[in-house]
Amino acid sequence: MLSIRNLSKSYRSAGISQAVLQGLDFDMAASTSVALLGDSGSGKSTLLHLVAGLDRPDGGSIEFAGKALHSAPEPELAALRRSRLSLVFQQFHLIPTLDVLDNIRFQAALCGKFDDVYQQELVERLGLDDQLDKFPWQLSRGQQQRVAIARALLHRPELVLADEPTGNLDERSSSEVMALFSELVQRAGSALLMVTHSREMAAFLDRRVRLHDGRLTESE
Amino acid sequence: MNRRLSWVLKALLSHYWRHPWQTLFMLTGLVAGVGLWSAVQIINHHAEASYRDAQSLLGAQASHWIQSRRDEGVEPGVYIDLRRAGYRQLFPLIELQVSTPGGQTLDLIATDLMALPVSLLDEEEDSDDFSATWLDFVQPPYRAWVPETLAAELGLAEGEALALRDGRRLPPALYRANEQQGRRILLDIGAAQSLSGLQRLDYIAVGEITPEEQARLAALLPPELEMVENQQHLDLQQLTASLHTHLTAMSLLSFAVGLFIVFNAVRFSLWYRRSTLLNLRLMGCDTRLLIVAIGLETLGWSLLGSGLGFALGVLLAQLLLPGLGASLQSLYDAVVGVDLGVSPLTLLMAWSITLLGLTWALAWPLYRQLQRSSFEAARSATLLRDETDARRWLGWAALGLGLLALAWYPRIENATEGFAVLGVVLFAAAWSLPLVLALGLRLLSAVLPQRRLLLRWMVSDGWTQMPSLRSAMMALLLALTANLGVGMLVDSFRDAFVGWLELRQSADIYLRNPNVDYAELRRRGLAEGWLADSHSRIGVTTRWRERPTLVRGIDPRAPDSLQLPLSRWQGDSPAAALATWREQPGKVLINEQVMFLAGVEVGESIRIGDGAAARAYEVVGVFYDYGNPYFQFYLPVAVVASQFSHYYSRGIALWLDPADQQAGARAEAAMLTLGAGPGDWISQAEIRHLSVGIFDRTFAITASMNALTMLVAAIALLASLLAILHERMQQFAQWRALGLRQVEILLLIATPLLVFCTIAWLVSIPLGTLLSWILIDKLNVVSFGWSMPLLWDLTPAVWLAGLVLLICAATLLLVSLRWRRQMPQALAQLGEIV
Repeated sequence: MLSIRNLSKSYRSAGISQAVLQGLDFDMAASTSVALLGDSGSGKSTLLHLVAGLDRPDGGSIEFAGKALHSAPEPELAALRRSRLSLVFQQFHLIPTLDVLDNIRFQAALCGKFDDVYQQELVERLGLDDQLDKFPWQLSRGQQQRVAIARALLHRPELVLADEPTGNLDERSSSEVMALFSELVQRAGSALLMVTHSREMAAFLDRRVRLHDGRLTESE
Repeated sequence: MNRRLSWVLKALLSHYWRHPWQTLFMLTGLVAGVGLWSAVQIINHHAEASYRDAQSLLGAQASHWIQSRRDEGVEPGVYIDLRRAGYRQLFPLIELQVSTPGGQTLDLIATDLMALPVSLLDEEEDSDDFSATWLDFVQPPYRAWVPETLAAELGLAEGEALALRDGRRLPPALYRANEQQGRRILLDIGAAQSLSGLQRLDYIAVGEITPEEQARLAALLPPELEMVENQQHLDLQQLTASLHTHLTAMSLLSFAVGLFIVFNAVRFSLWYRRSTLLNLRLMGCDTRLLIVAIGLETLGWSLLGSGLGFALGVLLAQLLLPGLGASLQSLYDAVVGVDLGVSPLTLLMAWSITLLGLTWALAWPLYRQLQRSSFEAARSATLLRDETDARRWLGWAALGLGLLALAWYPRIENATEGFAVLGVVLFAAAWSLPLVLALGLRLLSAVLPQRRLLLRWMVSDGWTQMPSLRSAMMALLLALTANLGVGMLVDSFRDAFVGWLELRQSADIYLRNPNVDYAELRRRGLAEGWLADSHSRIGVTTRWRERPTLVRGIDPRAPDSLQLPLSRWQGDSPAAALATWREQPGKVLINEQVMFLAGVEVGESIRIGDGAAARAYEVVGVFYDYGNPYFQFYLPVAVVASQFSHYYSRGIALWLDPADQQAGARAEAAMLTLGAGPGDWISQAEIRHLSVGIFDRTFAITASMNALTMLVAAIALLASLLAILHERMQQFAQWRALGLRQVEILLLIATPLLVFCTIAWLVSIPLGTLLSWILIDKLNVVSFGWSMPLLWDLTPAVWLAGLVLLICAATLLLVSLRWRRQMPQALAQLGEIV
């Protein structure tokens, strides 16, 4: 489903070029989950952004569901992000001026994939039944992340990209949210590529890979 | 696409729903700017339409007027004979001026309703009502059709007969007005004759007429009458053009100030919607979809802003029109209808400029944000870098505009160009303000003692507040500059005008009745004892270089002629130039309007008079002639009498013997003996009162617009402070948690505000002086054709400083109330986990 070959990306800072990814290869099958581990600054988020089409690689290829993401035009990438991918971030990225229900339905509305029964199931599983008419700022951080998860899954994307989704939560909430998240991703039939530096969180997923010196290696 | 678009719009617009005061400020900026702009546009278009249609009452599309060559009126018999000869397109007119006991001057116009080609009777009325209305109008005791607004001003009830100052009464009032009557009272010709005690008509208007008929009609006229082309519409447009340009310029300034509020509101909405835009992009909204959504948002705001702004404009126009209409009538004899006509074109223009302004303020920054990568656009550092970039770019743009203004200034030829340069200067100043504020902050930080840590911190917080306060400070600077500059112009004008009136209107009594033979005063010995001196003047109305012109014959030895104030003269002194004019033939004095608008210089030879009868005169002096829209030439009375056969009396000025305590009463008795009516003379005090009244009324609209502009700037300031509070509440809460007191945090907000306001105020003083100087030195001269010295006074600036302090205090009070309400919640959110 996701195939990355010879991927490279570098950034220039104060006139000096610094390579973040160098000749990276990676494959991922449908409906599987992969934890992407690595030290701070190792390029985990950069890889995630490249897969999401939020940034362009310097070299190499990224193919997702038969589409070459590395060379696709912006509208095509946007359409892909809209309907076949979804993103979950540490910072939740909810729309502060829309209520919880609208936030949950937003991405499904953008790609026209409403499923009221599934929506109800997600809401109940994530414990958001009595929060639907509230605004994000009226929720705790854990609740906000549950809203972000519901939003990411409602349109049943083929691939969910998550960047430290529990990084902003305390230990107990992190485990609760992560357990729910991995289970729901599985039930939705989606694949999950998750950036984390926590071995505990990585343990919830099928496979773990480590990013070091710009390359990926399988991890325990 | 449609469903996606509606969800994106929902996400973008929900910001305004969740931040109602932000929406309110955005709307206030738009509505205030558009309102002030459209009010003036509505007035201007309405006035132009009134000038264009003026003939529908005065001349029924009159191509010509029949009038006396010597301003002696037209015998009614002539009118009857011409109608009998088959000229049905003629109708008579009498114009009268009367005064109320309170000293208000009223203009009356009388005609024969049934002779008018365009009926003023309501054709929708059934035939009985129609006949009754007409019969009431033409039969004693007659009816005076009084516009309702004027009746309200006079406190005149329907059916009541208005008492005049001299004891006469108008016919019973009927609230009725047609568009072209303006603020004038309409009477039947019989009622006017009965009121004035004179049978003569002022003139006969000639409707549509073929050249052949016109030639035949001219041949039928008695020798004392002439048929002249009706150029009133053209004249009014020409004479009032500059005044309307002035108003338009002021309305554009108000619009610009309003736009600064919009800029402010937009900056805030952008700041707050960074995360929303980032979300939308992360969820797969492509740039095109976001641009369409932002375009629709802009369109929505433009429709809402221009619609509501236009409605406010109509209301403002209705409030401002009576005063302006009265001034136009007093200054230019221009009748402006009382019922506002609103043109869809004005609404369309209001919408267009709103859309343009919004595209600049909202669409462009949002578009720039979208051009960046998702995360870069959302970063605070990007916005701060944008602010530094914006300050630098504004500085360069200001420099460019300043150089443009410098290059353009000497080449200004008309009022429109003058205002364009003025706009360039004001924008150059406004755009350079952020740099000046930054410089001010640096200087202040450098001079503050090291040990005053708290104060240094408060001042340095100005850098954080600068992005939020920048637009509001520009709006404040423009409002302060406009207030100071225009105020200085009005004060200078008032000072020059009142001083000039003192010299020009030095006689004690002015008698204006063309039918009084003034020579009789001395011939019959009526002036003995009480009369110290007199000045009898004659005049001719003509056209000179396509402009209405007065040629005055004045007595060179009269007291006011001997001390005529000159702005330019030939020879060593004004007295020498006046002596040359008095004693040598072929010399003329011209008013400043001739010099500035027609480019005539002292020493130049000009030809005055019609056709072959024109004679050459050398210009020996230029006299001040404030408020006069016409060209005017002064020639000795004997010269005018010999050159122009159709001259007429322009009245007589009388100086009373100061030693005679009863001189006033004896003068009145003498004038009554000569056949003058009680309303035919006016005292010096009254004429000054009336002149200054007209002056003040003319500039009342300026004062109103200045006040409104200041209000708009105050709203911009409040909006900025609330935005700062909203953006930095979490930060303030952290400081509060560190132990800072509420008053210290409020001082932190207030100190940079006061520093910036002080800098803006200081900049506005030289800038206001510059504005005033450009208005006086260039715009007044090219627009109206007269000059005056600039009167510089710091007092208005001190008052404005007080006003700014009040505005700051009021906004800070509102901010502190909001602070009290929001701080507990902000504190509760500190360190919140799960």
